[in-house]
Formats: sequence, structure tokens, C-alpha cells
Amino acid sequence: MKRLIYIVFLLFGQATASYADTELPITVVRPTTYDAYANIPVGLTHEKAIRQVPAINPGEYFVPPAVGDIPTSKYGDMVKLGRNIFIDTQHYAKRYVGNGLNCSNCHLQEGRKPYASPMWAAYPMYPMFRNKSRDVQTFEGRVQDCFRFSMNGIAPTLDSPEIKALTAYAHWLSLGAPINKELPGRGFARLAKPRDPTPVNGEKLYKEECATCHGLDGKGQKFTNRDGYMFPPLWGGDSFNHGAGMSSVKDCAQFSKANMPLGKGWTLTDMEAWDICTYIWLQDRPWDPRFGWFFNIFAPPTGGN
Amino acid sequence: MSLSRTHKYLLAAGAVFGIAFGTWVIADTDTDADGIDDLPTLDSIQPRVSSQQPKLTLPNELTVVPVVKPGEYFVPPRLADLPDSKYAQEVRYGRNLFVNTQQYAKRYVGNGLNCSSCHLQEGRKPHAAPLWAAYPMYPMYTEKSRQVITFQERMQSCFRFSLNGMAPTLDSREIQALTVYAQWLSTGIPMGTIMAGRGFARIDKSDDPSPFHGADLYKNYCASCHGADLMGKKFTDRDGYMFPPLAGPDSYNKGAGMQKVKTCASFVKANMPLGKPYTLNDDESLEVCVHIFLQDRPWDPRKGIFMSLFMPVTEG
Amino acid sequence: MKIQKHETEKQLIKMLGLVILGVSVLTLTGCGKKSDESHDAAIAAGKMLAEKGRGSIPACVACHGANGEGLDAAGYPRLAGLNTAYIDKQLQDLARELPPPGVLIEKVSKDYSKTPRIYSDLTVFSPSVRHDAVMSPIAKQLSTTDIHNLAAYYGSLSFQAKPVAADYEVLERGQDLALRGKPEYGLPACVSCHAPDGEGFGAGFPPLAGQPAAYIVSQINKWQTGDRDNDNLSLMRAVADQLTDADKLNVAAYYANRSLTVKGK
Repeated sequence: MKRLIYIVFLLFGQATASYADTELPITVVRPTTYDAYANIPVGLTHEKAIRQVPAINPGEYFVPPAVGDIPTSKYGDMVKLGRNIFIDTQHYAKRYVGNGLNCSNCHLQEGRKPYASPMWAAYPMYPMFRNKSRDVQTFEGRVQDCFRFSMNGIAPTLDSPEIKALTAYAHWLSLGAPINKELPGRGFARLAKPRDPTPVNGEKLYKEECATCHGLDGKGQKFTNRDGYMFPPLWGGDSFNHGAGMSSVKDCAQFSKANMPLGKGWTLTDMEAWDICTYIWLQDRPWDPRFGWFFNIFAPPTGGN
Repeated sequence: MSLSRTHKYLLAAGAVFGIAFGTWVIADTDTDADGIDDLPTLDSIQPRVSSQQPKLTLPNELTVVPVVKPGEYFVPPRLADLPDSKYAQEVRYGRNLFVNTQQYAKRYVGNGLNCSSCHLQEGRKPHAAPLWAAYPMYPMYTEKSRQVITFQERMQSCFRFSLNGMAPTLDSREIQALTVYAQWLSTGIPMGTIMAGRGFARIDKSDDPSPFHGADLYKNYCASCHGADLMGKKFTDRDGYMFPPLAGPDSYNKGAGMQKVKTCASFVKANMPLGKPYTLNDDESLEVCVHIFLQDRPWDPRKGIFMSLFMPVTEG
Repeated sequence: MKIQKHETEKQLIKMLGLVILGVSVLTLTGCGKKSDESHDAAIAAGKMLAEKGRGSIPACVACHGANGEGLDAAGYPRLAGLNTAYIDKQLQDLARELPPPGVLIEKVSKDYSKTPRIYSDLTVFSPSVRHDAVMSPIAKQLSTTDIHNLAAYYGSLSFQAKPVAADYEVLERGQDLALRGKPEYGLPACVSCHAPDGEGFGAGFPPLAGQPAAYIVSQINKWQTGDRDNDNLSLMRAVADQLTDADKLNVAAYYANRSLTVKGK
């Protein structure tokens, strides 16, 4: 009987709570929609209001072949599979992915965008020596690392169709790119570091510049009409882990500088990018799979710079 | 321990066969050694035969050999230009593997060949399947495996067929180093470009090749290096082959690309006799290759004992 | 006897449980009804205004169609099934007189038909204005409640797009831009903010699919001239600045060609 009474109380508590949540007065509009630009600063100078970004001349960056030009052959089928895996990893390589990201969340625009580590600049450079593994690594091995760290999952084997298809896609994207030559737009942007970054400033900037899409809690935004994320999570259980490249403040800042906010690359100053990424770096995310629980709990995460 | 009578007979028969086989093998190697000893030794004072009796008449048919103009074929980077880095170490290791597979990848090789036995001049020579023309094309669909394979997998099948061995795994240091070497050789080539000098030469067949004529041609053009028995020539002062064997247990197996008469002929036309390419015409190289094709060599590893013994070889 | 007593107790408990369940369910539905009522009232008021107009305010259905499906030929946008907060904000911005003080607006005069990429500067803060010769005078007459009601009404309508046929090449180019953007010029793909099918996402990113092609083109033109400048972080202005005339037509044709089904809320 006691238990029953307890349940009654519980139900009533829930009922009242839901009542408070659902009610909205007719006339009042949510403050965000009513005045979304309450934070417009007063007294802006021309230099602060207008930010100069580098103009891009035609032919400055390598242009990979168009998707319509994928050949109708077995090779073309492999390329198509690779592209599908690349832009919808959640679906096509589900069992190897441990979080909510796709390849194209970092390698923007299907791995084509310069300064967003495009495939056409990476593939001709591999095999390459990497400091992370302290060894010369093939492209396939590098893709495995992506699955292990950035996707927080389990790497497909080297002879798996996933790795082969991704390699074929990267090869097709870099058709015409010279082998072993550094192309402009490779990797991320290069940054200056005028002072040590502060996460306090970073938090402020994050709320201004990033929270619209990635959410104030940094957990991204999920689709309402389907599975998956519309805007990828930056931290939390569904994001990349502590061993990922993006978990290093430097890589993150270099990426943000050239690409974020989406469509407005190069508008953050170098220092702003450092600050935001330090704030992101301090958040909780999955553990580094290279370390055991002791190091993950008691040692500071790597990549702090 | 009691063996039935049949078992005893079987054992005895096996022993007898073993002894016979052993003797045959020993005898075989003996003749090989004799062959080397039988080579004509020239007196240091005596002038060489060719200069003693100069040809007074020109040959009736002159063979026109294509002239290579400078810049016609891609020139890969020089090994000496490599800086001192981890990457360069891997490139050098890959090159060592490539030119001296017998030593550096011993456990994966089942015969007496090196990579550079077919991919001449460290994989640099045009029309001898140069690495710099192959690497930019992979991953590629191949008829042999009926799927798209990566460069690493292509090298695995080289180990399996041409080197008649066991393929190193895809993450092994050997495969990785060879990939690095190939990538370094193709530095500067646009990805996916079909380079001049890729693969072998083109072959146009005008007549069905005859192995009898091929045997004659072999004696004239090939036997001085590869031996009249096609078993190649071994070094006398060290291990390994000076001239690679074209048949026998130390050669490529029946699944290899060279076992295809056409592939072999296109290689021969563009590269053989070494230093005198394009002197054999298309039909002659085909005939030579039919002669080579008919010799004994290791079985195709894709097939079992029955198929290998009783079925005709397919790639003719 | 003991067993009987035990069973009656059990039955009692069962009954009690059922009663509690029923009561709680009733309370919950009651709560739901209450909020629904307010929502329904807003929808009804919005519907009245949309269909009949009021005083000098013309009826919305006159231009935006009987079910808010828009008018393809004239380029009047569809409103059915749009995000409520989005409609709300747009009407507020249309009614706004002048940008708030302290914000500079660059007058841009660039030739958008020629070079693929022309801009070299970006306004960081948008002044939240949207100007339209037809709609702005109407929006100024609407009260906050009117706007809320209209938004609730149009957000509740469901919508089925009628794909408009277009040239194959135009569609292909439009698709290329919509799915991949122009990476070599730093132009992001439409789908990276407006959702994979162009169905829009949240209050900040309106749908592109199901909008008349003429509307999309005219809006991009307005971004470029500065008549519309009311997005968050001025993201869309940065994007619109890089679109050539051909791009606008291609991508508008592509999205007018998409099929889309929206369920009203």
C-alpha cells in the first residue's frame, strides 16, 4: 500500500510538471524570436563591423572532378560507394562508427573544400611520415585512424570494402593532382598565436558565433524528421574522442579559422579561433582509446598545446 | 605398433620413390654445375671470336628500332636527392626490397626472382611495367581478381604469383615500404594519368606462333643469358641468380602475368634482349614466349592438384 | 479463508491501480487540452486574419494562396508548414523601420553576373532588416498578437510541393551547387544548413524546397543589394555575395523541382 501511495504522489508530481511545461500564453513571444539581435554592439567602428577576408581568384585551388563524371564501371561503383560512406558514414559504415559524426563533418563539402583537409590534397601525399604514429603511414592506415579517433569507433580492416571504397573515392577526387606535391589548400589554415588562449573569452565567443548551430551545450542539433545530426556535436558522448586531431586545440583552431562559421571562413581572428577551441577542448568527450582508464581520468588530455 | 601389409608396402614404395627423386634432384643440380663449367674459356691473348671474324656483309633485313627522344618518358626522382628523414628511410628500404627481394623479403618469396627481374632498372624503365606509371592508376579494376583492388593488393598478387610465395599482409612493413617507394617514384605525376611507357609494349599478332621456331629463336637470342635449359644463371660466388630463370621451380608460377603468352611477348618485345629492345618483331616475340610457356614451372596456387595436373594451362 | 482474503486484497490493489491510472491519464489529457486550446485559438484567429483581412490589412490568401502554398508565377512565397518562429521573425523584421543605431550598413554595388567570387569583406553583425515594397507596409500594420496568430496558423498548415519541371542541365548544375557548393571558392553547400532535402531546419534555416523559383532568386538578389539583411551572424549574406546570376537560377530551379511533404503542427 505504501508503494501505491508513493506512486500516486509521483504521478501527480509528473502531471503538475507537464502542466507547467505545456502552457504558453498567447501574446508572449519567445525572447529569441522577438529580438534575436539584442546583442548588437553599439558604437562599432568600420574596422570592427567589416572584416576583411581573402578573396579567392579562379584557379587558385585544385578542382576535383564533378560527381556526374564518375565513370560507369566497377571502379566507378567503388567510387560511388566510397562517396556514400564519406557523406553518410552513419548509414554506410554504421558498425565501425561509435559516435554521431560523418567523414564530411570535418572534410567539408564531400572532402573537396580547401583548408578543410580535402581528400585531393591528402591522398597524393600518402604514404607519409606522421608524428602521431611516429611512422610512415599509408592512406588506408590513416583512414583507419580516423575511424578510431574522430569517429570514436573500431577501424575496418585494411582489406575491408569500406577502406577500399574510401581509398577509391579519395583517388578519384585527386585525379590530376600531382603525387607527392603539396597543393595550396592542403590540411588546415596556418595560424599565428599572439598570446596564450583563454577559455573565458572562448566561451563568450562560442556563444556568439557557434551556438546558433552547434547548440549552447555543444551537443549539436539532431534532425526532427530523421535520424542523425543536422549540426554535428562538438563535445559529449556523440562527438570525437580525446585522441582525435580535432581534440588538439591547434588543429581545431586551424580548422575553425578557415571554415567556421560555415560560409564565413576567415572572419574569426587567429586569437579568437584559439580561444574558442580552448573552450571546446576543455569539455567532456569520449576517452582516448590509446590510454586506459587511469590515464584518462587522472592525466590531462593531450592536444592542449 | 602393428602396420598392415598394405601400409608396409606403401611405406616401402614411398622410400623407394624418395630415393629416386633425391638422386634425380642431385643429378639435376650436377648437370647445372657442369653447364657452368662447360662455358668456353677464352685465352686472354686470343682475340674474341666476333672481332676475329668481322662480318663483311650487312644483314639482309635491317631492324628499325624506335628512338627515344629526351622528355618522351617520365623521369622519376633520383635516390641521391632524398633528404634524411623517416620517409626517406622508408623509401630506401622499399627500394632495397624491390631490387633485392631475395634478401629483404626472403620469407615471402618462393622462387629465385626479384621484383626488378621484370620491373627493370629498379622499376623505372618505361615499357617494363614501371612503378611510376602503375601507382597513379590504383585503386583499379582488374580482370584477374574481378574487383577493384588497391595498389597494396596488386603487390600481394605479385608475391603470390610472380614470386610464387606467400603475400605479406596489407599492414606489413614490406608492403608499406614498397608502396612508399612506388609513391616516391611517381612524385609529380598527376593522379590517374595514363603515362607514356605504362605497362609493356603493344603486340599485334599476324600469324599463329609456332613453338618450334620459338625454340630456335630462344637459342639465338635468349640462351646466352637465361641458359639453354631456361633455368637462368646463378652467381658462382654468392647466392641468387645473375640471370633470372624463365622455367623450373625457381621461376614464376602458372598464375603469373608472365605466363600469359601475350604479356610475355609484349615484355620481350620492349625489353629483350636486354639493351637491344624492339629487335624481335611481334611474331618473333610471341614465338619465343610460346616456347617459354610450354616449359615446366610451379603450379597455379589458385588451383588444386587435380586441376593443375590434368587440365590444360589456360593462359596460352 | 486465508487464501480468499489474500485474493480480495489483490483485487483491491488492482482496482486501486486502475483508478489511479485513469485519474492520472485524465489529468494529463486535461493539461494537454488546455495548451492545445490556446494554440487552437491562435490558429483560428490567424485563419480569420489570413482569409478575411482586417481594415486596411489585405487578406494573406490573396497573394500567398488559399492554403499558403504561394504563387509560382509571381514569386510569392509559400507559408504553409514553415517554422512558426521563422514566420514570426520575418514579419517583425519586415515591420522594422530602420536598423538599430550604431551599426554600419555597407552599400554594396557589385557586378554579380561575371566573376564567380567578388567579395572581399563581410559585415559581422546584421542589422535585422528586411525590406519589401509590397509586404513591408502590410507588416507594419500587424500587431504582435496578429503576427503570433498568423505564424501559428501557417505553421499548422500541411503542404505538398508540386515539382516544377526544368532543363536537365540546369537541374544538374543546381544540384551540384546545392549538395556540394563551390568548395574552391569557399562557398558552402545549401544542404549544410537548409537540411539534406532543403526542408529547412529550426527557426534559423528556412526551407528552400517547395518555394517558387522566382522567390528564391528575388531573395538572393535582396541579400546582395542589402534589402534583406536579417540572418544570424550574417551567414546568408556571406553566401549570397558569392552567387552569380546563373547560380541563382540553377539552384532555384533545382529546389523548385524537389518534391516535399510537410505535416503541419
